[in-house]
Amino acid sequence: MTSIVLDGLVQGLQLALLSVGVVFVYGLGGVLNLAHGQLAVAGGLAVAILRSARWHPLLASTAGVVVAGSLALLLDRTLLRAAYARRGEERLLLGLILTLGVSFALDGFYALGAPNVALTLRMPSPSLEILGVRVRTASLAVGGLSLLTFAVLLAFLRGTRVGQAIRCIIQNEVGAVLCGVDVERVRTLTLFVSGVLAGVAALAQGFSSFLGPEMGTEFTILAVIVAVVGGVRSLTGTFLASLLLGLVNSALSYTVGTYLTWIVLLTVAVLTLLVRPEGLLAYWP
Amino acid sequence: MLVVQGLWAGYDDVPLVHDVHLAVPGRGATAVLGANGAGKTTLFRAIVGLLRPWRGTVRFDGELLSGHPPHEVVRRGVVYVPAERELFPQLTVAQHLELGAYCAPGLFRSGLERVYTLFPRLAERKNQRASTLSGGEQQMLAIARALMAAPRLLLLDEPSTGLAPRLVAELYRQLGTLLREGVTILLAEQHVQAALHFCQQVYVLKDGRIAYGGPAGALRGDPELYRTYLGQAPGPPAPGGPGHP
Repeated sequence: MTSIVLDGLVQGLQLALLSVGVVFVYGLGGVLNLAHGQLAVAGGLAVAILRSARWHPLLASTAGVVVAGSLALLLDRTLLRAAYARRGEERLLLGLILTLGVSFALDGFYALGAPNVALTLRMPSPSLEILGVRVRTASLAVGGLSLLTFAVLLAFLRGTRVGQAIRCIIQNEVGAVLCGVDVERVRTLTLFVSGVLAGVAALAQGFSSFLGPEMGTEFTILAVIVAVVGGVRSLTGTFLASLLLGLVNSALSYTVGTYLTWIVLLTVAVLTLLVRPEGLLAYWP
Repeated sequence: MLVVQGLWAGYDDVPLVHDVHLAVPGRGATAVLGANGAGKTTLFRAIVGLLRPWRGTVRFDGELLSGHPPHEVVRRGVVYVPAERELFPQLTVAQHLELGAYCAPGLFRSGLERVYTLFPRLAERKNQRASTLSGGEQQMLAIARALMAAPRLLLLDEPSTGLAPRLVAELYRQLGTLLREGVTILLAEQHVQAALHFCQQVYVLKDGRIAYGGPAGALRGDPELYRTYLGQAPGPPAPGGPGHP
C-alpha cells in the first residue's frame, strides 16, 4: 500500500513537470500546444545521443534541456506568430492545427532519424531503505527533480518582474498591456520556459523508466488531461490534478493493468469537463 | 502635446472613426463628447495603439506614436484608462499599483504616496482584491494604476459611467488635483455637463467624425451652438457648482 501511494505521488510529480508547460502556454497565449510532448522527446533524445558520445551526465542533461527550450523558442518565433496575430477562437484553432502538424512532423523526424535511441538514466544504486520502507532511488531522483523545479518556478513567478507580468497576463491581457507589459516578449519567454520544463520532464522519464522516440503523443495527451482536470489557468490546480492522476494511475496499474488505466484517466478528464468545466481550481493561488 | 491627423480606424471592414483631426494642448483638460457609438472608444484605442489605425498619424510631443505597440506608448507617457477598467480580479489593490509601476519601477515609492494621498480609500483597501471593490473604488483603482506609470497624458474613457452623482463629483475633484499637478487629461464623456465644466477644450464626435472642436466655454455659453452639436438643451445649472452633473 505504502509503495503504491509513494509511487503514485512520484508519478504525479513527474506528470506535473510535464503538464505545467502546457498550462502556462495556454493560460498566457490561448494556444494549446499539442507538440509539447514532442518537445520533451527532443530533449530526451538529445541527452541520450550526447550520453552515447560520452558526455558527462550533468552536461548532457543540461544540453538536452536547452535543446527542448530552444525548439520551443523556434516554434514561437516562426509558426506560432501566425496564431498570435489572431485573437480568441481563431487563435486557439490555428494554434491547435499548427502544433498538431508540428507534432506529426517531429514524430516522423524522430522515427526516421533516431529510431533506436532511448534514454535511460541510472542512479548509482537501484534502491535504499528509508524508515523501514524500501524506495527506488529513481523515485527519489524524480521527486527531488520535480520539487526543485517547482520551487525555482514559484520563486520566478512570485519574485521577479517578469513572473509578476505572467500572472497578470493570465488574468487580463489588456490590463497588462495598459501597464506597459510587452506581452509578446513575455509570451516568447514563457514558451521557452515551457520547453525547458518539458526537457526536465524528459529527464524524469529517463530516471523512472525509459524514454523512446515514439512517446511524444502519449506525453502530450497526459499533459492535456492534467490541464483539463486541474484547470487550464491554474498552477495549483495543475499540481493537485497531477498528484491525483498519479495516484489513480499507480493504483490502477497495480490492480487492473495499464490498458484500462488509460481509459480511466480519460474518463476522469471527461467527468471533470462535465462537472466542473473550468477545472478543479479556476485561478492561480 | 498630442496631435492626431487624418485618423481612420475601425473593426474588420467597418470604419468607426473617419478622418479625425484633433490637438490636445499640454496642461489642461480636453473632452471628447458624443453619443454612445459615436466612436470615442475606437478613437482612444487607436491613439494608444490597442487598435491599429488604418490611416493617419498620432504624434506626442512631435514623436510618432502610431505604429508603436501599446506597451511602448505607455513608456512614452501616454496612459489609457478604458471604460471597462481592465483590472486583475484576483489581485489586491497594492498588487495593482505595483504592476502599474511596471515600466517606472524607480518611481514606485513616490507614486504610491501620491496615489494613496489622492485616493485615501484605496489606502484603506490596499489588501483587498479588486473583485471585492465597489464600482467607484474600481474606477479609482484603474486611474491609480495608470498614475503609477507616471503619465504625462492620461486618457480617460467614460470615467463617471455607473457612478453615483456624489462619486462623480468626488472623481472630478480628484481629476482637478491631477490637472494642478501638471497631468494633461483627455476625457471621453457622456456626462456632458461635468465634462463641459471640467475641460477647457471640447471636441464633439458624431458618427465617427469631428462635428465641433473649440473652447468649452463657447458651447457652455451658447444654447444654440449647444443644441446643434449636443442635441438636447442644457438644463438649469446644477446646484453644487462646477463638476456637478
